[in-house]
Amino acid sequence: MTISEFPNDESPMQHAIRSFVIRISSFVILNAPLCVFGHGAEFLSAKLTLLPDAEVLLEITADHGGNPLIVDESAAKDALLDPIRLRRDDALVPLAQIASASISQHDNWAEFAPASYLPSETESQPHALTTSAWRWHSETPEIVFEMPKGKLHDVLLWTHDGADPATPPKWMLLLAGDRSKAIPVRLTPWWRRPQAVTASCVLLLAFAYFAARNFTLRQRTL
Amino acid sequence: MKNRTLSLLSVMALAGSAAAEVAYEFVPNFIQPPPGKETIGNGHGEIAVDAAGNIYVSVQEANAGIQVYGKDGKFIKALPLPQSLHGFVIRKDNGDEFIFAAVLGEQKVIKCDLEGKVLMTIPTSEFPADKIGKGLKLTNCDVAPNGDIYVVDGYGQSFIFVFSREGKFKSVFGGPGEPLKLANAHKIFIDRRFEPARVMICDRGHKRMLHTRLDGAFIGEIATGMRNPSSASFHGDLMCVAEIAGNVSVWDKDNKRVADLGTSPQTTNTPKIEPKDWKQGVVTSPHGITFDNDGNILETEWNQWGRVLRWNLKK
Repeated sequence: MTISEFPNDESPMQHAIRSFVIRISSFVILNAPLCVFGHGAEFLSAKLTLLPDAEVLLEITADHGGNPLIVDESAAKDALLDPIRLRRDDALVPLAQIASASISQHDNWAEFAPASYLPSETESQPHALTTSAWRWHSETPEIVFEMPKGKLHDVLLWTHDGADPATPPKWMLLLAGDRSKAIPVRLTPWWRRPQAVTASCVLLLAFAYFAARNFTLRQRTL
Repeated sequence: MKNRTLSLLSVMALAGSAAAEVAYEFVPNFIQPPPGKETIGNGHGEIAVDAAGNIYVSVQEANAGIQVYGKDGKFIKALPLPQSLHGFVIRKDNGDEFIFAAVLGEQKVIKCDLEGKVLMTIPTSEFPADKIGKGLKLTNCDVAPNGDIYVVDGYGQSFIFVFSREGKFKSVFGGPGEPLKLANAHKIFIDRRFEPARVMICDRGHKRMLHTRLDGAFIGEIATGMRNPSSASFHGDLMCVAEIAGNVSVWDKDNKRVADLGTSPQTTNTPKIEPKDWKQGVVTSPHGITFDNDGNILETEWNQWGRVLRWNLKK
């Protein structure tokens, strides 16, 4: 009886394959981006897109694959129920009172966090993301967001310029109790508002009418 | 008589505040990176000082996980340690100094000498299976006066595990449930300013620090509403804290904040602030911190290029 150096009498080929797999696995584990193991996205990413006519689109994303504070999809949805509030005068208004949320699941961080804040070195890694989106027309020329005290999840609020995507995003990290700067919404110039366009059309028609009548109000009689 | 009493109380109060006064001055460009490098390298770790005053900084570099610098900030050598030493301390055990480190990427704790020779490992299999969850994400460890090793699963479920000096599991406390209700307990330290020593927990998710007894029983909150406390160190009666959202703070033994250093005007928490955007004396994302033996403060940041800042104690 010979003593095999290979456990369970595995063949040299099997041993070689096993060693190869172990080495590859070790290499992958040791060289994997460290943020896979944590410190990925310890915040909710709030992408703010300011649209014409004072329309506001706020998309807030939670990562339940890389955020140590969010263990699963259910916790992600909980975190997105009331993540940040809108300040109106002296009141903090929950987003749910402003618009209904549209919820989606995806794994695309790149569109939902600014490049400078993407979870480090994990751009090519799969993520488990939940995004809630709220869309509304602002009644005020500026909007201010605020984090109520005691909130667990920090919010990275950043602006996305839909008209010029190449513009570097502006961002601010809001911790519990923090208030954002006043953010001006995109008001449509008065001459491009529907009322102004309608009034202009009416005036133009009136002008044309009077011009056709040689600028007289009454029918001339011979 | 009443006036005398008031005067006496006033003098005592002034004396107390004078004793608590502490001031620091920033030392620009203290650390000199290894030859051929402009910065020390990808930082997501800790910094510590040995009894001789040498400075140890962990970086994410394969098989060179800790860089050693002299008191003057000049690079001496790199230790052949794993690249994911997220948290480590240098502690004396039976008279000799050792590095105790949590290896985040390998789900284990190691004890090694100051040359980087690993002497003991606490592997995943030594942790209680029902507390591992989806996998350990160990972020720091420290050593109690009796030699017990405390380890925290800071990126996991925030449980704090206690092992014997030999690395055998003894007990566990903390976690997300009652009574501590921890969330992202990023690092823990044994606070030897008190007798008996306490466990100081950086409960980063809740932006607070708290004390427990060594058996895990809650003592009290040290501070709340912080900029996400990530690491701490002790010297005399003082504790310095790295707050990753952009601040370094110093606290006395009565849990009073006595100094703020390098405060970033904007809250932050990112490793992607490039060297061209660094400002002298202003932190980006503080991740590790230590006092040196003279009470000066050294701080390392979560930064892809690696950054260490220093403040000297004004005497």
